[in-house]
Amino acid sequence: MQTWVEKVILFVWCGFSYVFLLSPMVVVMGASLHGGEFSAAIKFPPEDPSFQWYSKIPMQQFEALGLSLIVAAVATFLAALIAVPAALGLVRSNFKGKFIVTTIFRAPLQIPAIVSGIAFLQFYYLIYDNSSLMLAGTIPGMLIGHVFIATPFLFGTIVAVLQRFDHRLEEAAHSLGAGKWRTLYRVTIPTIMPGIYSGGLYAFMVSFADVPMSIFLTAPGFVTYPVELFYALENDFDPSILASSSLVIIFCLIMLLGVQKMVGLETLLRSGGGSAR
Amino acid sequence: MENRWIAYLIPPFIVTLLLVAGSQFVFIQNSFYQDLGLGRTGTDLTLVNYLNFFTDSFYLKTFWITIKVSALASLFTLFLGFPIAYVIARMKSRLAMLLLAGIVVSTFVTIVIKVFGLIIIFSADGVLNTTLMNLGLIDRAYSIIGTQEGIVVGLMHFTIGFSVLLLYSVVVTVPPSLEYAAQIHGASRWRVYQRVIIPLCTPGFVVGGLMIFNMCMGAFTSAALLGGGRVLTLPVLVQRTVMMEVKYSTAASIAFVLLVSVILINLISLIAIRRLRSARLVIA
Repeated sequence: MQTWVEKVILFVWCGFSYVFLLSPMVVVMGASLHGGEFSAAIKFPPEDPSFQWYSKIPMQQFEALGLSLIVAAVATFLAALIAVPAALGLVRSNFKGKFIVTTIFRAPLQIPAIVSGIAFLQFYYLIYDNSSLMLAGTIPGMLIGHVFIATPFLFGTIVAVLQRFDHRLEEAAHSLGAGKWRTLYRVTIPTIMPGIYSGGLYAFMVSFADVPMSIFLTAPGFVTYPVELFYALENDFDPSILASSSLVIIFCLIMLLGVQKMVGLETLLRSGGGSAR
Repeated sequence: MENRWIAYLIPPFIVTLLLVAGSQFVFIQNSFYQDLGLGRTGTDLTLVNYLNFFTDSFYLKTFWITIKVSALASLFTLFLGFPIAYVIARMKSRLAMLLLAGIVVSTFVTIVIKVFGLIIIFSADGVLNTTLMNLGLIDRAYSIIGTQEGIVVGLMHFTIGFSVLLLYSVVVTVPPSLEYAAQIHGASRWRVYQRVIIPLCTPGFVVGGLMIFNMCMGAFTSAALLGGGRVLTLPVLVQRTVMMEVKYSTAASIAFVLLVSVILINLISLIAIRRLRSARLVIA
């Protein structure tokens, strides 16, 4: 039983942590409603609320958002193509050096993203020197980098799901006459689907939010949204960027709600954040 | 049967190995050539970039600042994250899921947006400065941009969502029945924290703290924006060396120093996990 003193302390402490955690996002969304004129327009709390800046978001930011969404979606799909067979193969087989193989699959998580960024940039330059194929500043180049950082999230969650997998399900399918492939597609894959969804969500979000890797792989006119925002903050910005940031926050909320409806938050937590990193 | 599963493993393994080894090998090799500036490098293998790094007080100071802000940020993050994780883990209502959803969403939103919010909060005529000045606590506007405190706050925002999820998975391994048992035997609540909860969670704090420290060491975005070019950390230095000075080999050597430090910390935490496991304090 908790005493009331303890409850008060925990309540205040938690309240403070939550204010700390959520205030920047609340402030960005609040300030985006400011109705004043261009200069001195970044104010919180907003005066004279209006949605004027939402209609003034320049095309450039929408293009950046579009690029980010496409890259994140395709990278997540490709990462799943790597991670699903890798996780199945690793959990189901037994061989010497399994630990090393696991470490290599998880390595991109341990390597700081900025190091991966400069590594891929120099990797692409080397390829260019030898074959005049320039990957830096192109969609394939960007995708390879994002698949690299996204795969471990999917790998981690699927491994976690597979380790709890009940083998009797497959044996049952087998004894009822299903072949190897039929068992895989009708029993195994559907059972690990929640792991794929929640790992995929993490992978998508990591790719969608990435700056340190993408900043090396962008080119003028080819910029992902977080990098666009990064440069805007380093130089000069107008409140339209607050409006597009607010849209991104709302998008993240919707994604979470969607996945919660599909697989439940419990699955997301059990397999996601904690174990993946 | 066994062989079939290994066949699944081989293609993705080759792809991953190619990406990991290929990219890492190229930049590590580059770091061993002398930097002639403007993207040109010498032709002989040399340690000159590393000698520069470890003899130049500017680089060493940057290294030290990176370690210092990362350590401070991980300590404060654990301090702020633990009560949330504990309260949610012990909560029986549906509110717990809502609180967790708040944490998960905050981990999804890109750190650039959060730093944007911080810049607004801490701006000269922002909410915080105005309130503090009205209360008479400070006499002139305080700015966190370009200070080490600013970077610490930014790093905390980068890691706190993850740290709550991590600590949550630690706290749920401590069954509430242990707390009841201690109380039935006459322990006060304070005593329960001191002798039951904290000791059982300590392995999680150690391992989690090292993971968070690692994230901070490699954190680029928040450190770059809140350092404002005045306070540098290693990741920021890597990016600036490439983008502003176009010195690829020098940047590669800094990146390699960063990579090695991070791997060393990983090894320490791996050994810590093994030790704690063998001591039967199984966590995570």
